[in-house]
Amino acid sequence: MKQLTISSDAPGERLFVLGNEAIARGAIEAGVQVAAAYPGTPSSEILETLAGVAKELDIYVEWSTNEKVAFEVALAASICGVRAMACMKHVGVNVAHDPLMTASYIGAKGGLVLLSADDPWAWSSQNEQDTRYIAEQGYIPILEPSSVQEAKDMMADAFKLSEEFRHLFMVRSVTRVGHARSDIVLGEISRERRKGSFEKDPSWLVYTPAVARRNKPLMIERFEEIKKRVNILPYNQLRLADRARLGVIACGLSYSYALEAVKWLGVEDRVSILKIGTPHPLPEELVTRLLKSVGEILVVEELDPFVELHVKAIAQEEGILVKIHGKDLVPVVGELSTAKVTEAIARLTDSKPPVDFAELDKLEQETAPLLPWRPPALCPGCSHRASLYAIKTASKKVARDYGKDVEPIYPGDIGCYCLGVNPPLEAVDTTVCMGGSFGIANGLAHVVEAPIIAHLGDSTFFHAGIPPLINAVYNKANITMVILDNSATAMTGFQPHPGTGYTAIGDETILLKIEDIARACGVKFVEVIDPFDLKKATDTIEKAIRFDGPAVIVSRRLCTVIEQREKRKRKEKVIPYLVDQDKCNIKCDACIELLGCPAITKQDGKTIIDSSLCTGCGICAQICPYKAIIEERE
Amino acid sequence: MIKEFNMLITGVGGQGVILMSELLGKSAVKEGLKIRGSEILGMAVRGGSVTSVIRIGDEVYGPLIPMGKCDTLIGMEPSEALRNIAFLSKSSLVILNTAIIVPFTVSLGQSQYPRLEVILDKLNSASSQIIKLDANHLAREAGSLLTANIVMLGALFGTELLPIKMATIKETIQARFPAKAVPVNFKAFDLGYQACRQALK
Repeated sequence: MKQLTISSDAPGERLFVLGNEAIARGAIEAGVQVAAAYPGTPSSEILETLAGVAKELDIYVEWSTNEKVAFEVALAASICGVRAMACMKHVGVNVAHDPLMTASYIGAKGGLVLLSADDPWAWSSQNEQDTRYIAEQGYIPILEPSSVQEAKDMMADAFKLSEEFRHLFMVRSVTRVGHARSDIVLGEISRERRKGSFEKDPSWLVYTPAVARRNKPLMIERFEEIKKRVNILPYNQLRLADRARLGVIACGLSYSYALEAVKWLGVEDRVSILKIGTPHPLPEELVTRLLKSVGEILVVEELDPFVELHVKAIAQEEGILVKIHGKDLVPVVGELSTAKVTEAIARLTDSKPPVDFAELDKLEQETAPLLPWRPPALCPGCSHRASLYAIKTASKKVARDYGKDVEPIYPGDIGCYCLGVNPPLEAVDTTVCMGGSFGIANGLAHVVEAPIIAHLGDSTFFHAGIPPLINAVYNKANITMVILDNSATAMTGFQPHPGTGYTAIGDETILLKIEDIARACGVKFVEVIDPFDLKKATDTIEKAIRFDGPAVIVSRRLCTVIEQREKRKRKEKVIPYLVDQDKCNIKCDACIELLGCPAITKQDGKTIIDSSLCTGCGICAQICPYKAIIEERE
Repeated sequence: MIKEFNMLITGVGGQGVILMSELLGKSAVKEGLKIRGSEILGMAVRGGSVTSVIRIGDEVYGPLIPMGKCDTLIGMEPSEALRNIAFLSKSSLVILNTAIIVPFTVSLGQSQYPRLEVILDKLNSASSQIIKLDANHLAREAGSLLTANIVMLGALFGTELLPIKMATIKETIQARFPAKAVPVNFKAFDLGYQACRQALK
């Protein structure tokens, strides 16, 4: 029997998948022809899944340089009548915000779907942003799944709805959908492949003020039609209980928690539930029916009170006097859970949870002080550790020339290297957004007198690092910009980018060199260093900082995870380092206190290197004052 | 009707926690079971805490286990098992790999690793039973330290609580690994299974 995979055309069969694979499968079933994205947790696996089947299913798949470009690629395909999607994490939607707001005026010819993956609790993000507000701003309807199965189904339907209404649709996923796992029932795969054709139509596609004024009302008309339809979409369901005094409105994933909570409390017959799959626009008829049937409402949704505010508006509009709860009882920060929803419903139904949450909270709090702190850390052998160490060493030296108390400033960015904020490196002073390190450095240069050394990764450089680099040249910002080039988008799963020489589907392409770009942008000091040659790297960074004017350092070393992987493939042995206990001064601890490498630990008062973790980078050997760290040779 | 059965697998990035849930999930689907779950991990997986949620049952909807509702906790690392103590109840079973992984923050003097007895005491008072095994040792015995997760999977099956047949999980393991790695993994599975049976005697 042939094994079932994500690309199997086997309607009715069940497959165990990750939520993001289910989303990709939905697009495959809809016959998506163009998919573009920039990697970002929790969305990356969607495009990775599509890239894996791109050739087999004849889908054009690309990693774009950033989310704005990704969305524009998809928009162009849609304009030409081809089904297209762009996927990104919530903050990626901000990058794509500009084209999005006009794309909604354009609408869609080929089905056009934007997938936004929000990250409640900011598991791997700089903020917890609710992208539903952005969709609302652009009159973009939202489909929000309550399960992995529904994520697949909605994704497939979004393309159809987009074509039917000639309008852009958004599917809002969250971490606990994209990174959930579940069995799903597969649907049929559309094999339709269209040939794109571009129709010149300035009144549709050239957004001069006159066109904007003409097309905005048309966009609103389309949106009004969609508003009517959502009342009968299967994703919105109203279940009225006979004796209900409480109505629960549960949006997206929260519906699964609400169902369990009501069952757990045994109040099924006392609570009416409205499942919301389209938070924007809301199914107004269903909401009104529920509002009229109960005395109290609880809105359950993750992050901001988006549905809550709209429900309150509907109540006002309809003149219904009913108490509407939401974020007064359900947290606005973090992910929801069955427990949190249970607590809220218990309060409003005078019922008692079968589990004493307060007791369990207490147990958790009592246990917390016992637990060791286990933060994510830069890997053993990570080149960023060496780069950040070299940056710090060089800049501290230069800072002394600025004055006794002057500290160098290290604007940082989005990527693995932001883990350098933790001790002992403490080499990150700001992390705001993609490319923000160079931008912030530009501003600092004009207001403080201190060495300013900004750093970002290679993929981040291509994404958003080039405009602030040009800005530094143009506006004469005296800063040092370090690109930590490990030839991968490592944080999100080693996706390729323009500096790797490979495309999303593994085809070879032109490899862009960051140093060439920097020189072409007018930077007069550009040097490439190997961070594993600490002495030379530090000296070169020092020269860069002392250079009068913007300077660029490309610190290049392949991501250690990829390197180890390749070594294993080549059957090449890793030669770890070890501590020569005769030479080691047990009072010194420089290797531990300066580098924070997970492979170096203390055992029974001795410093030892875990040979199963050590990758043989040799940075610790280079900084050991007693030359006590040596290669382990047989 | 299949009754709700909630499992948590906890450990440290790199221990193969996610792989265990994949193997369980695929096997459950083969048995026609409904399964829900999620991966809970921070920014960079490596070295950080990792939890995988697996829920089986006809009336299971959410991807997370409510506090106090975990039936079986599979702890790949003692302190990581302790971190999830609030999910346990007096009827929970804990299967614990007693091999500890000390985070680098302990070397840096920023935190402390509790004594194993303290962890066991805490877990004992919060659950009904702990099955302890040195999965790392058994994995080495099987032929590779990397199979410690499969040892633990074997131990889970040793409890005979799961509605999944042994043949099914073995079939899934066989399909997941290259042919030459299958015997080592089978051996690891069997060692874990036996260790659990022994502990339950």
